[in-house]
Parts: sequence; structure tokens; C-alpha cells
Amino acid sequence: MRPIRALIPVLLLLIAGATSAQPARVADASAAWDSAREEQLWLRGQWLNLLHADGAPGSWRSHADDPRFFLARSGGSDPAAELEATLQALYAPAALGDEHAQCRFVARAHWLQQTLGLEGLPQPDCAAWRTFSELVQASRAVLVFPSYYLNSPSSMFGHTLLRLDPEDSSGGAEYLSFAVNFGAEVDPSDNGMFYAFKGLTGGYPGQYKVDHYYKKIQEYNRDENRDIWEYPLNLSAAETMQLIRHLWELQGINFAYYFFDENCSFRVLELLEVARPGIDLTSGFGISAIPIDTVRAAQRADLVRGKQFRPAKGTVLRQRLAALPPVLHPEVKALGADPARLQSPALQALAPATRALLVETAYKHLRYTQIGAARDPVAARNSFALLRALKAHADVLPEAGPAARPENSPDLSHGSRRLSAGLWREERLDYLSLGLRLSLHSLEENATGFLPGAQINIGNFELRVDETARVDLERIDLVDIISLSPRDRFFAPLSWSILTGLERQWADGSEHRVAHVTGGVGGSWALAPGGLGYALVTGRLEHNQGFADPLQPAAGVRSGLLQHFGEHILQMELAAQKFANGQQRLRATWRHNLRLDRHQALHLEMNWRDQAPRSALAFGLRYQYYY
Amino acid sequence: MKKLLTGAVLLGASSMAVAVSPGGPNCGWGNMLFAGQSGIVYHFLALTTNGTSGNATFGMTSGTNGCSTDGTLTYGGKAMVQAMLDEFSEDVAVGEGDALTAVAVAIGVAEEDRPAFAQLTHDNFATLFPSESVTAEEVIASLEILMRSDARLSKYVVS
Repeated sequence: MRPIRALIPVLLLLIAGATSAQPARVADASAAWDSAREEQLWLRGQWLNLLHADGAPGSWRSHADDPRFFLARSGGSDPAAELEATLQALYAPAALGDEHAQCRFVARAHWLQQTLGLEGLPQPDCAAWRTFSELVQASRAVLVFPSYYLNSPSSMFGHTLLRLDPEDSSGGAEYLSFAVNFGAEVDPSDNGMFYAFKGLTGGYPGQYKVDHYYKKIQEYNRDENRDIWEYPLNLSAAETMQLIRHLWELQGINFAYYFFDENCSFRVLELLEVARPGIDLTSGFGISAIPIDTVRAAQRADLVRGKQFRPAKGTVLRQRLAALPPVLHPEVKALGADPARLQSPALQALAPATRALLVETAYKHLRYTQIGAARDPVAARNSFALLRALKAHADVLPEAGPAARPENSPDLSHGSRRLSAGLWREERLDYLSLGLRLSLHSLEENATGFLPGAQINIGNFELRVDETARVDLERIDLVDIISLSPRDRFFAPLSWSILTGLERQWADGSEHRVAHVTGGVGGSWALAPGGLGYALVTGRLEHNQGFADPLQPAAGVRSGLLQHFGEHILQMELAAQKFANGQQRLRATWRHNLRLDRHQALHLEMNWRDQAPRSALAFGLRYQYYY
Repeated sequence: MKKLLTGAVLLGASSMAVAVSPGGPNCGWGNMLFAGQSGIVYHFLALTTNGTSGNATFGMTSGTNGCSTDGTLTYGGKAMVQAMLDEFSEDVAVGEGDALTAVAVAIGVAEEDRPAFAQLTHDNFATLFPSESVTAEEVIASLEILMRSDARLSKYVVS
């Protein structure tokens, strides 16, 4: 469907070129409809965008899943009928007030007015719309990307929303800007597994929501400790206004919510298409709309005019800790527990600027430890004491450097999808591998724009082709996530992993395709600059026809090292597992990834396994292309 | 919004950390789930919805976008001060910052007077934040009194 849709703007340009540029003057609904029919106005991209219509002539379908969004009974599938009904309704008696189509469908009314030159329209009093538009008071828009958040699957790919800024929106003024967010409306009375099914299959309605941006700052920067990247857009005031008009039309309108494609990020693109006529942002997202790819789509359409960084609380704290001499690090926690230590001779002897930085860091750390916790009177009292000390040191507090690294912004990451081809040798058997990964990033890959220590893969498929050209399944990883967050004196996060899919295993003297789910939990530690060590306890459930009883649980450990050397990344890992039926597996893996450029890499891998009936060694070289 | 307020009113300067549910007021699904309810089921819930809790629609419930045109803090502006009291107090202590600017904007202080606003609040930190149990309402009341007696900023406070 979507490739066809991509052609439509071209067709429409031809149509538009063939018709007169000057809108005819029409004075009533039937004259307006005659004029619209002459130009087949319902095929214009802007009208289809306003209806959220997808498809092709004869098979239109609106993403909006709500009769309140349509004036014609068949409006969801018939843009022409909806156009006719809208023109009729625009000329309805003004006494309808806020319920009048001119008040309900302000963006449609605006566009039709401009395009058809409607005259003699009734003048309903759109009080509610007027109030809303005065509240929003925006003339600019910003595309906002709260970064990857592995602790919530809904956010592991990041998220996008729009912010609507007034003219004066620098350095804090944007706190009161409106944020436009599309999310699912979940019925809390549904039971758990039902949620999952409904969420994936579009069973939940999604709606656009508008709320103050400061709440988003709190939600992401503080509560979820996520960095936020902001991409200011170059929409004009008029384009922003049309976006706001359309938003008004969408208030309370239900859309089916699909996790993979018709999600928050896809819906944001639809808004931008309404704002700027003639751009096509959505047609590239037939299978999935990964949030960062939608940011890149906006960049490709020349909508983005910069980027700004809003660090998470944890990011700011780490920055302060990095600036503080390590010898003072023990004092950070000690001051939080006992602010009176600041009067000790040792701390009073510090240079004032250093002491100021220590106080600030101690305060930020104490506050950080209280995020999400119930109010603790002791922590509150100590926080207040440190805050007063901070006030006293304000004049000598050193300026904090920029927390952002623009060269590491998420839009600069390697492409979200990966194609790969490899050559392998395993016990004198040579074979080719062909792989497709739908998303997103592995530990050993070029980490630019990603969270360090994060692996987020959904939908990895690999085939093998042996010397006799026989094609076989190598592996399918449905979900493959690893979160390695280093622990230190100040932060004590758990590291964890989850992997489920199909893979080759050996049992009973032969090879089997087994289904499994494998999870792990443990810790990781920063060992050297660019290096990370980790150790996880693992559990596994495997369905293997090679076992007498095919379904077997196993327990084990995995431990490894990850080290970045510029464009080279090394990963070494050892793993051991013991199954309930007594089977044991040992595995050693060595991976070396060489970044060729942003979207290409070479991957060298060696695998040794000790698995009944014998041990085996495999090694291979794989070329990886990201797009 | 109601939830935000009932939660936020409990905040003192130190509250900062808060008597509201983990994840904060109006927080998205992910955090609340993980803090309050555990289990794979809820992971799946978050996985499939990427949503927000359905308690905030179109800012209309607050009756305002928080930007004042007549001088005093509106309902929306007060809600922000309450919600951001932690950040605001730290900015006041340091004498600058986004939360401080945001409050100035919410009151309607023009750009050229914002440095004066920052200076006034910083100089009177102890008045605004006398203890860790001060409430947001008290901070806002003190702020109005301070501004009223400031030659440059009194014009932003209607009597």
C-alpha cells in the first residue's frame, strides 16, 4: 500500500499543476462541492493527510478509528464523501456554536477556505477553540526524543513527541510549552496477558495528548533518568498554526495503537505532514517506525534546524563527579549523611571553588538517591542543609561544562536495520551466513548515539547456506536485550539480559533447532576507560527434541569483557550451563567488530563450545551493512 | 491534574523528593509499573502500549497554559512551581537555571527583568525557603511579597 501512496504526491502535483492556482470564489455548499469535484480535491495530499487516510483511490482507509472524526458515514474510507459532508457542514447554521464544523474541524475549514475561496460562510462562535489556541500560543515546534530506556520495553527504542513553543522559548521558558504526545489508552481493568495481545494487535485506542513540557522533563530527566534530545524544527508560524488547528480536531479521537508501526513516532510524523504541505515522511515506515528513524526522516525532509541536549539527573550527577577530584568522592556520600562535616578543618581547608563543587555534587547525589522514594525526614533535613551551603557557595561555584556531546547524538547512530553476509568454518564444515536484523544494536557494534552497555535487538534472522547450497535456519532472535550499567560507589544498578528465539544446539549426538528463553541478572563494572566487565547468573528454558524429555530448564553463569578501542570493539565471554537432565554446556566467545564507516562494519567471531558428545570450534567473518 | 495537585501540595522545599507516587505525578506507564507492580505481565503491558496514563488531555483541565498575563501566578503556573519546587529551590540557591527562568516566565516577568528576578530570589533565599518543611503555597506567597517591595519587579504583581 505505502509504495503506492508514495506516488500520490507526484500525481497530485500534476493535477495541481493542471488546475488554476487562483481559488474560485464559491458562495454556498453546493457550489463549493461542484468546484471541489472539478478538481478532485479529495485526492490532494493535504486533504488525505487531514483525514489520516492511507491507501490508494478505491481502497482508502483512515488510521483514525473513531466515528466522531468523520462527518460522512463512510468518511473513514471515502475521502470524497467526507469532503462533501464537510463542505455541507461548514455552511450549517452558525447557531451550532462550538459544535459547528468550522469550530470542530478548524484545520479542514482553514484549508478548504484557502483552497476553494469559500464565501458567505456562517460565523459561528468557536469559543472553545479560541480558548485553546490562545492557551497554546505557539509559533514554533520542536521534535523531542527521550532517549533509550531499557528498563521499560515500551521505551527501549526511545520515544518521540512534539513541543509547541511560543516565540520566547529559550532557557526555561519552554517548561510551560505544550508537549504533544501520542499514546495508548489502556483499560486498567483488563487482565495482564490480554493487555499484551491487545497492545500488539491494535486493540487499544491511542490518542493525542497535550500537556505541559515540564511534566515531560520530570518524567524523563528525573523519574526515568533519560537524557532528552530536542530537535528544533523550521516550521513557520503559519505551519505551526495549522498543526495546532489539526491537533484541536484530534482531541479525544481514537486511533488504533500498534506497537511496531502505527505508534507514537509514526503519529508525530503525520502531524508534521499536515503542518508542511507536500512532504512525505510516513511512507518509509511500512513495517516498523523506530523513533530515531522518524527523527532522521524529519532531518531528511529538511525540517530540522539543530539539536539540543537536556541531560538526565544521573547524567548531570556523573558530570559533576567527573569534575570533582577523586580523593573527595568519599565525602560526597558522607556529606549527604552528615552535612555538618562541611565545618571540619579538612573540608574548610579546601579551595573555595572545590568546596563549592563538592557541596553541589553532594546535594545532587542526595537528591538523586531520593528520586522515587517516599519522603524521608532525615534526607529532607540534610538536603536542606546542603542547599543552604550551596547558596553560601554560589559565588564561587565553578561553571559546569556542557554535558552534551553533539557528535554522540542518537540521530548519528548506525542505521536501525542490518543486513549481513558471512563466511564460517565449523569443524571442517564451511558455510555462508545471510542475516537480516530488523532492529537495532548489539553491544559489540559502533556505539555512537546509543547508551553504553545496551543491546536492543528485536527480530534478528540468520540463514546458513552450506557447500551443497542447502539453505537452513541458523537462528532467530525474537527479543535479545542486554543492559549492562556499571556499578560504582554512587550507582548500583543491576545488569540483566533476556533472549528468546530459535537456535542450533547439539544433543544426543546430532544438531537440533531448539526454542528457548534465556534470562540473566548480575552486575557490571567499568574496568578501564572504554571497558566494561560483567557477570550474570542465568536461567534458561529450552525445548530440544534431542532430549528424552524435550522441555528442560537450566541454570548457569555468563561473564565477559567489553572493550572499545576507537573503531575496534572487542567482546570476550565465557558461559556455562547445567540442565535439569544433567547435560552441561561450556561456551567461549570472542568477537571483534571493526567499524568501516557509520553504516558498515566487519565482524570477526570465534566460538568454542564443549557440549556432549564433544567440543567444537567455529570461526567466521561477517560483513554488516546498516540502513 | 487533580492528582498532580494533591501530590504536589505536599511538597516542601525539601520535598523535592516527594510524597507522590514513584515516578512522579502524571508519569508515563513505564516507571509507575516498575515501581509499583512487578512481574513479566507488566513488562508486556509497557511493551505493547508505549502509552501514557490517561489523565492529561489537552491541558484544558488546568484551565490555562500557566503563562500569566496579569501578573500573578495562574493555576497552571502554581502547579508548575509545586511540581518543580526541587529544581526551583536549587536554581534560587545557585542564582540561575532553567527552572528559575520558567517561574519568571510563568509570572510574566519580561526578559529584560529576569536577571533582576534571579537576583531578588537568590538574595532572599532564606526568606523563600526558611525550612525544609515550607510548602509551595508559602514559597509563592513569600515571592509575591518580595516582588511587591522590589522597585523593578513590583509592576508584575497586581495588588
